[in-house]
Amino acid sequence: MSVDKWNAIKFSLDCFYIKKVFDFFRNFEIEPVLIKGYSIARYYPQNKIRNFLDIDLVFSDKDFPRAKSLSKSLEIDDILIDYHLELRHLDTVPWANLFAKSEIIKLDDTEIRVLCPEDHLRVICVHWLTDGGEYREKLWDIYYIIENRPADFDWDRCLNSVSKRRRRWIVCTIGLTQKYLGLDLSNTPIEEEAKDLPRWLIKKVESEWQKELRLEPLIIASYNYKSLIQQLWKRFPPNAITATIDCEGDFDARTRIFYQIRDMFKRLKF
Amino acid sequence: MNNSEKPVARKNSLVVQELNNEVLVYDLETNKAHCLNESAAIVWKHCDGKTTISDIAKQFINKSGNKVDDDFIWLAIDQLNDLNLMESGLKPDFKGQSRREVIKKIGLASIIALPIISSLVAPQSAYANVSCGIATCVVGTMPSGCPAACPTCAGANGATVVCTV
Repeated sequence: MSVDKWNAIKFSLDCFYIKKVFDFFRNFEIEPVLIKGYSIARYYPQNKIRNFLDIDLVFSDKDFPRAKSLSKSLEIDDILIDYHLELRHLDTVPWANLFAKSEIIKLDDTEIRVLCPEDHLRVICVHWLTDGGEYREKLWDIYYIIENRPADFDWDRCLNSVSKRRRRWIVCTIGLTQKYLGLDLSNTPIEEEAKDLPRWLIKKVESEWQKELRLEPLIIASYNYKSLIQQLWKRFPPNAITATIDCEGDFDARTRIFYQIRDMFKRLKF
Repeated sequence: MNNSEKPVARKNSLVVQELNNEVLVYDLETNKAHCLNESAAIVWKHCDGKTTISDIAKQFINKSGNKVDDDFIWLAIDQLNDLNLMESGLKPDFKGQSRREVIKKIGLASIIALPIISSLVAPQSAYANVSCGIATCVVGTMPSGCPAACPTCAGANGATVVCTV
């Protein structure tokens, strides 16, 4: 019970901080877009709190330098904010288009800008893959966005605004959610398509979920010699899913090895 | 004790969340979370600076349907004061009795739960998630000795994470 209470107050606290940062940036005529975190949590049922550690804010190319320079301001320097310069690898739709389609939602008395559900689902799927499919529990994000999508959810916008390869990534991630969490895809245009999952992908996610050691940023691991070694070892060979995404690869290619090699060199900055 | 006193609950720098019959309060100044049980929550909510102790007792009876006296209200205010959840630093005078004795007396006389405020502690699993390798970061208290370079703790500085070396 005390965990539930802790989660409830932490959720309220995080919402308080979100309101604070939006008010703060708007005072400087900067309009960020909130992704992940609360913008997903709002799709969860009331009895299932989805907590988050940081606040992911996306800024336009124009606003980003100013937002970063303001990050040390006293008003917000105690808030954990992840500053994103547009969406980079997470999506290929131009930022101006994503922003134009973004929505304003009410968080108590504050207006919060979030991506439209179609764009957000795409971003969340790619983000999940970028993590190498490590986090089974984060498939619930995809589950609830789809389960509680608005009635006028535009599947065409969600799937066909990007390349066919990316479309396949997204359909496969949704397919994994269907396979492992029982997401109901009936009456969606991908009901059949989402069942067609590459064998390597299933094998890879299942093996990742067996592992005890989770991927951590190297900067954090670097404070402990043992965990640094573990984290470096974990990165070799590069995760096949991450490598495919990093190389804008094809899920149906015969092998992952070329993506993994390319990704390794890319990360070593050759 | 002056039961015509009008206590004022603190509102600033607090994040408040109602959960069933309880009220959860996060103090942004101390970075501590508290849970007010139903009795403490009713008293706290009525501390508006306009209502006297005796009137709060009456409102409590109306709300809960259980008879309580002014000592019961003072007991709640005493704890709220201790946790810095009140604006006005009202100090109850239990006529030479210790708080423990008053609790015993009120507890025996009332059929309703005594006002209790408990501190919320971060769940154990959260500790592991935020361990930075330099210090053990504990969710729920304020960072003090954590080096600014530590990405985990510095990142969450003041929000929810604290370093206890």
